[in-house]
Amino acid sequence: MRYLFFSLVVFYSLSANSQTADQIIAQLVGKINLVKDYSVKANIKADIPMIKVLPVNATIYFKQKDKFKVVSKGIAILPKQGFTDVSSFLSNKNTYVAVDGGLKALNGVQTHVVTVIPTVDNSDIVLAKLWIDTKNKVILKTDLTTRGSGSVTMNYVYGTQLAFGLPDQITFTVDIKKFKMPKSISSDINNSEKAKKSKSKIGTITIKLSGYLVNKGISDEFFKKKN
Amino acid sequence: MLLRNTYNEFIKIIAKPRSYIGLGVLTALIFVILFAMKADGTSFVSFVTASFEQTLSFNGNILNGNLIAFIILQMLIVHIPLLVALVTGDLISGEAAMGTIRMLATKPISRTNIVLSKFIAGAVYTLILTLWLAFLALVVVKWMFGTGDLIVLNSSGLIILQEQDIMWRYLCSFFVAYLALLTVSSLSICLSAFAENSIGPIVSTMGIIILFTIIGSMDVTVFDSIKKFLFTTHMASWRSFFEDPVKMKNIWESIVILVVHNILLVAIAIIKFNKKDITS
Amino acid sequence: MDGPIIEVKNLSKKFGTFEAVKDVSFTVNKGDVFGFLGPNGAGKSTTIRCMLSLIAPNSGTIAIFGKNLANHRSQILNNIGCIIEKPDFYRYLSAEKNLEIFARISGRDSSKKEIQEMLEFVGLDGRGKDKVKGFSHGMKQRLGIAQTLLHKPDLIILDEPTTGLDPQGIIEVRNLILRLKTEQQKTVLLSSHQLSEIEIIANRMVIINKGKSMIEGSVDALVNEQDLLLQINVSDYQNAMQAIELEFPALQVKHLHGSMIEMAVEKEMVAKMNYFLVNKGFSIHSLEPKRKLEDFFMKIIQE
Repeated sequence: MRYLFFSLVVFYSLSANSQTADQIIAQLVGKINLVKDYSVKANIKADIPMIKVLPVNATIYFKQKDKFKVVSKGIAILPKQGFTDVSSFLSNKNTYVAVDGGLKALNGVQTHVVTVIPTVDNSDIVLAKLWIDTKNKVILKTDLTTRGSGSVTMNYVYGTQLAFGLPDQITFTVDIKKFKMPKSISSDINNSEKAKKSKSKIGTITIKLSGYLVNKGISDEFFKKKN
Repeated sequence: MLLRNTYNEFIKIIAKPRSYIGLGVLTALIFVILFAMKADGTSFVSFVTASFEQTLSFNGNILNGNLIAFIILQMLIVHIPLLVALVTGDLISGEAAMGTIRMLATKPISRTNIVLSKFIAGAVYTLILTLWLAFLALVVVKWMFGTGDLIVLNSSGLIILQEQDIMWRYLCSFFVAYLALLTVSSLSICLSAFAENSIGPIVSTMGIIILFTIIGSMDVTVFDSIKKFLFTTHMASWRSFFEDPVKMKNIWESIVILVVHNILLVAIAIIKFNKKDITS
Repeated sequence: MDGPIIEVKNLSKKFGTFEAVKDVSFTVNKGDVFGFLGPNGAGKSTTIRCMLSLIAPNSGTIAIFGKNLANHRSQILNNIGCIIEKPDFYRYLSAEKNLEIFARISGRDSSKKEIQEMLEFVGLDGRGKDKVKGFSHGMKQRLGIAQTLLHKPDLIILDEPTTGLDPQGIIEVRNLILRLKTEQQKTVLLSSHQLSEIEIIANRMVIINKGKSMIEGSVDALVNEQDLLLQINVSDYQNAMQAIELEFPALQVKHLHGSMIEMAVEKEMVAKMNYFLVNKGFSIHSLEPKRKLEDFFMKIIQE
């Protein structure tokens, strides 16, 4: 009896919170859906242990629901997961449950923390924790745990395109503990230094976005073409 | 007289069919690599970036001319010494085997000048081979695969060098690679001064390179003190230009060691050839 | 230049413990065709290689054109043309290119015309553009002589230049050497193990055996120093031999074959012997006084 009561309390409290979380997500998705496509100039700065790269300029193209392309003259490094995965994941309402994690201040902004758990087996996302600015209906931070790529944290800064929910800057923090150097390739006769083990296990990629062109229409063909 | 005989040496090298084997093989090897890259280059690149690809995606033209030029240099630097030795190992001993060394040594040219003119001719041949490699790697390959940033994997991780920051590195690395090949040329000319047939010096040169390379790559403390002085250790020093920052101290050390090797080997060849009784 | 062209004094060379040349000395004068005679392995080639600085001698001195070879190598070699044993050329180059290459390091460039003239001189006109790998031994030998002459040297050294040639080739090379003396007034040092060759071509000679110089002088003088071998084809040779032995007990008469007998005699004895035998009633079918260098040479090397 005591167990039944406890279960009921938990069920009611959870369902009450999910309702709120679902609403928040629905508002968020509604804003996401305002953007059919966009292109944006990106300045990508990667600070990843064991990778040395200078900032690269690129143009990023996106089209609903999951078409994504980076055009860069140089080599641009982006996180494998996180750029568009969250929005396309959230768009399909039947594949997850959202759990309200309560309110939390993030950099002085009141946010609603929502944890999203996939309900389907084939999802690469295992868990997504979103810090949502309910006032502006935008995500300020995401903690994404994926099956294949470890965890990625994204921090968003908004500016000119707040109305579309498009950020001016995204900072990705990636987990790099899985990096292994293939010995056959790295064997360098002249370099007597042993491969350094990186102290830091965290890599950050900062992308500054500017010059958005939103809903101007991009053909599907464009995404199929090679650079 | 030195210049006159050097001119003669050029005539001989140009007329010898074996001189073209090196250029031909080099061209064929490069085109095999290019064919492989064109057919299945992406899987080769993913082998390089595999460790990072779980988390990161690499966007842009990774399989570009700069990367393929790097791969070509990395792959061929082991084989080009054989092509160099094939010609330079024959320069003195080939004449002994043919009997023409007798004719040459009875002319009013000093034996020192004979060795020096052969060294100069060998150096020019090696230069032509290196320039041909550079032309194929930097001009033809770029024409076929385009240009772009260079992604290099070394012991300290991945380095992505920007397109505009690459050419000077290639030019410098081709210079150091040339110096390394010149050492191979001097070694085979030196061995050639001891031999009466051309096979001996060619095989011995390759034998020495293989032996030194094995010693250099063995992680055994006994060899640690000598590794630094083996010329083979410095044959890959061209790669240091693709570090960031470039380890100029290491490169200068390699240059000095290679130059000293060249001077010593030519000096030994001169001394030996001057003392040699020509009885062939 | 006055004085000898070549002066070799007490030359010695050892290869390990083997003494190839021991105390060889000789002198070659201007305008000589000097025969350097000796059996195979006598040390001729070693001596010549020392003279051309191919081999460093252990002791002794070599002066050529009045200058010490050790100190004036380039200057001396500038004025020498030589073939050692056999002329070897770059097989993958044409005859012209080979001549051009050797002329370039012989102290003076040769014009295409000079090369052509030289090829004509040695009988190789029309073959200049052909690669040497297609040349016969005789053609190479002639090209070798062209190579020795192209830079117009005063001294020609030819080490066994007829070795391996067919009879026709031998005659051609011998004639070429004689033309060098008569037409171009060259001094020639010619080594050979064939005595007939030296006898035909040379005016002076040295005989070398087992690394030592045995005797040196003019070919005529060396030959005339010796007794003649008188060979007589006579009827009733047995009685003739008895008659000779009775009349001239100092002579040793040998039966050669058939009715041929032989004896060593002094020059003035030839006519005397003819008179004696005819007077005794013997018929003389032939009488030949032989003064061949071969006999002398065999005698020397058998000593």
